Amino acid sequence: MGEFKVHRVRFFDYMPTAIRAMAFNSRTERLAVARTDGALEIFNFADNYFQEKVIPGQDGRAVEALCWVGRRLFSGGLNGEITEYDLENLRPRYTVEAYGGPIWTISGKGTLLAVGCEDGTVKMFEILEQRIQFQRNLDRQKGRIISLSWHPSGSLIAAGMMDMIRIFDAETGRATHRLLVERGVGAPKSKGVVVWSVVFLSDHTIISSDSAGKVQIWDGLTGTLVRTHLVTKWDVLALSVSQDESSLIAGTSEGTVVQFQFISSTVDRQEKDWVRTRTFKNHSHDVRALVHTDTAVVSGGMDTQLVVRPLLDKVEKNTHESAMRKVAFPHRSLVCCAKKAGLLLFQFPDHLELWRLGDSDGHGKPDDILPVKRKPEKLIQLKRKGEDHICCSALSPCGGWLAYSTVTSLRLYRLQNNNISITKVSKLPKDRRSAHQLCFSTDSSKLFASSSNGSVVVVALSQPECRYLHTLKPKSGSRQTVHLLAASEDGKWLATANTDCEIHVYSLGKLTLHCTVPVYSSCPTAMAINPTTSNLVVVHADQQIFEYSLVQKEYTAWSRRLQKQGLHYLWLERDTPITHVAFNPKNPAHIILHDMFMFCIIDQSLPLPEAKNVLYNQMTLRSLPEPERIRHSHAFKICKNFQHLMCVSLLEDHSLVVVERPLLDIMSQLPAPVRQKKFAT
Amino acid sequence: MAKKQRGRTASSSKTETQTDSFSLMLESSDDEAPEEMTFEDSKTAAIRSMKQALETARREKELLKEKRRKRQELFQEQKKRKLLPADVLEEIDSALSKKQQQTEGEAAEEEEEGRKKRRRRDKRGHGREVSGNCTVTTVKERASASSQQQAAEDFLRSRLYGPGSCRTTSNEMLSLQNKTGRNKSAAVKFVKEDWACEEKAKAEKLRKRWIHEQQIPSC
Repeated sequence: MGEFKVHRVRFFDYMPTAIRAMAFNSRTERLAVARTDGALEIFNFADNYFQEKVIPGQDGRAVEALCWVGRRLFSGGLNGEITEYDLENLRPRYTVEAYGGPIWTISGKGTLLAVGCEDGTVKMFEILEQRIQFQRNLDRQKGRIISLSWHPSGSLIAAGMMDMIRIFDAETGRATHRLLVERGVGAPKSKGVVVWSVVFLSDHTIISSDSAGKVQIWDGLTGTLVRTHLVTKWDVLALSVSQDESSLIAGTSEGTVVQFQFISSTVDRQEKDWVRTRTFKNHSHDVRALVHTDTAVVSGGMDTQLVVRPLLDKVEKNTHESAMRKVAFPHRSLVCCAKKAGLLLFQFPDHLELWRLGDSDGHGKPDDILPVKRKPEKLIQLKRKGEDHICCSALSPCGGWLAYSTVTSLRLYRLQNNNISITKVSKLPKDRRSAHQLCFSTDSSKLFASSSNGSVVVVALSQPECRYLHTLKPKSGSRQTVHLLAASEDGKWLATANTDCEIHVYSLGKLTLHCTVPVYSSCPTAMAINPTTSNLVVVHADQQIFEYSLVQKEYTAWSRRLQKQGLHYLWLERDTPITHVAFNPKNPAHIILHDMFMFCIIDQSLPLPEAKNVLYNQMTLRSLPEPERIRHSHAFKICKNFQHLMCVSLLEDHSLVVVERPLLDIMSQLPAPVRQKKFAT
Repeated sequence: MAKKQRGRTASSSKTETQTDSFSLMLESSDDEAPEEMTFEDSKTAAIRSMKQALETARREKELLKEKRRKRQELFQEQKKRKLLPADVLEEIDSALSKKQQQTEGEAAEEEEEGRKKRRRRDKRGHGREVSGNCTVTTVKERASASSQQQAAEDFLRSRLYGPGSCRTTSNEMLSLQNKTGRNKSAAVKFVKEDWACEEKAKAEKLRKRWIHEQQIPSC
């Protein structure tokens, strides 16, 4: 494996924001997740829950509800605006003011979008080809509309409000029923009960969840209460029902998700009833958003993690599919490391931090902690301009240039490191408004910026002025933006990958398309070009590794051997994607990969592990005598000493930088959880 | 409001003058030795002074009336000045009616176009174009929107984290997890950093002063 001096970096105070709303599109198997800072994430459930797309947030865009209509995604927020998103160019397409005060909920059916507002109106918007248009208001009510649910036929709408549920006739706009929800026991009279969520089933059953901790089942035809389930002492914040309406889940402030099923309570009885069946506790804080897919319960909330919990009666037991998934970190790198200068750039939504790594002159045995001679220091904290959050950033390998982009603007800065100074490069080419991914060439002479519709812009960097050189465009019809960029060390190649799983390699000398890597069904999560062999190493969301020779335009022999033999089953069972690929300049056969829980050095010269081999064999190897080791060693050398990794990178002086962010640190900074009494504490 | 105030001040001044005259009389009687006065004399004097007082009051009232009248006139004058002259107004009126006739005469298509234009103008949002480069936008509406947003967020916060929501801190939750978990470890946060802030600041200040005091005698 080799020995490295490791910089163990723990000063990246990355703090994810809470999940506020979710919406699942069962046709495309995409989950949209809205966070409290207004950021939107798209997860592909068909491709190992990979976080395909991220639309950065904006100040004041407090997204409160999400809704898919076909392939279009709409959100409503407390700023009173309805936003449709452009999922190809990763930006809001347009916003429409609803003129009803803050929007609490949004729900689509067919070509209509119903919006529940603070002023007590349910507003209907017609979804047109290019935009949405206000159609009419339903009867205005006193008090805010917190939740909405369409009857599957589209003729009725149930609206959850303060202290009651209203049923509207969608055609006439008249309120037909009023279901009064009673206050919790012992609650003060002044504090009304909030109907946080409501679900309208096709048999006219209405299910509501409220702030008194109840899940109530109502008959929507007569407007009578059928059954009350007291679930918690706190609020029941979210509800979701499966598509076949046989199972319902409710998320509470305690962090539990309670499942109800529509079954007959005793074996011999025919009539069915909603019965509380299971309780999941996967969250430490409030569950604010829930989705019931066909096979799993997806939940998210204040503890910022997305949890996918497969239902064991729907999937095969003890398989890869039945394992629980937690997504805690973004599936892309927020850290940029300048290899030559020993600088680290940390990306936050509203600022960037530039740090110089510490230094130590000590020599020690493996596993020793060396004394720090020079402490790491924060050189620059750069606040972003405008109200859009930062979507990507990059630091040049020499540490002399810094670039970041928001949805609306791209900014480039020149850094002087000996006397720390930063100057903005004002003369950027005019039409280079924004970028989705940024990358500097190794000699810091060029900046590559992934632009709209899958094109990549090449900008030449020089001191007084930066010049636009070329736009690289793929020939294929894909309009998805490029989410990965990798430039080769010798400046000859640039590899780009988009979310349609296409990988294009451009020749930078001729500025033309060199070749296209055969399309694999899973999305690339990380890639890099080997500096000595010019082989492109690509890792996909399903954990497969490919090596493609750019000179011969074919997969290398090692890659073919790996595919033939197959990866170790433990490697395939890992549940976080590889987010960074690096190489060891001293040994070209070494590939350094990392995910959230481990980093791995793949030695291409060693035999591949077979299924009967132990994958994590570092400890056993150490205990063996020297000559025996060779017989037992295999290509995958995995280190789990450092946990919850944000970045692993190799510096030019052959020392390893490991950026950690322990989940415990994140957890200790979260907002207040509910107070639960535990026996004997 | 203004009128009321004015009235009040006027009345107060009136009373003042009356008291002044009385005090004058008193003074005169105070200085000299008491003179003999017939009842008639005193009566006439009293009547005179009463009359005087009434007169002054009336005069003041009239003055006030005059003042108001003048003000009224001024306002009317200003109003007139603001309005365009009658001939100009007439001209505009006639022009408008002409235009209407024209539009009515024109084909339906053009009318639609005009409508579109108007709609486009509407779509521009709160902004309205005045001549040249400047635009006028309403500031108040946006402010109210943000205040509404703030109110909505406050509602949410008060419901979830407000009084009666029974919340604890994450630190306590973590320590509880540590207690009930299988492998016990050190507490996540040993030190309460926000504990006794004022005392700490005070101590720091005292320490600095002490160091300063120590240094002075030595040099």
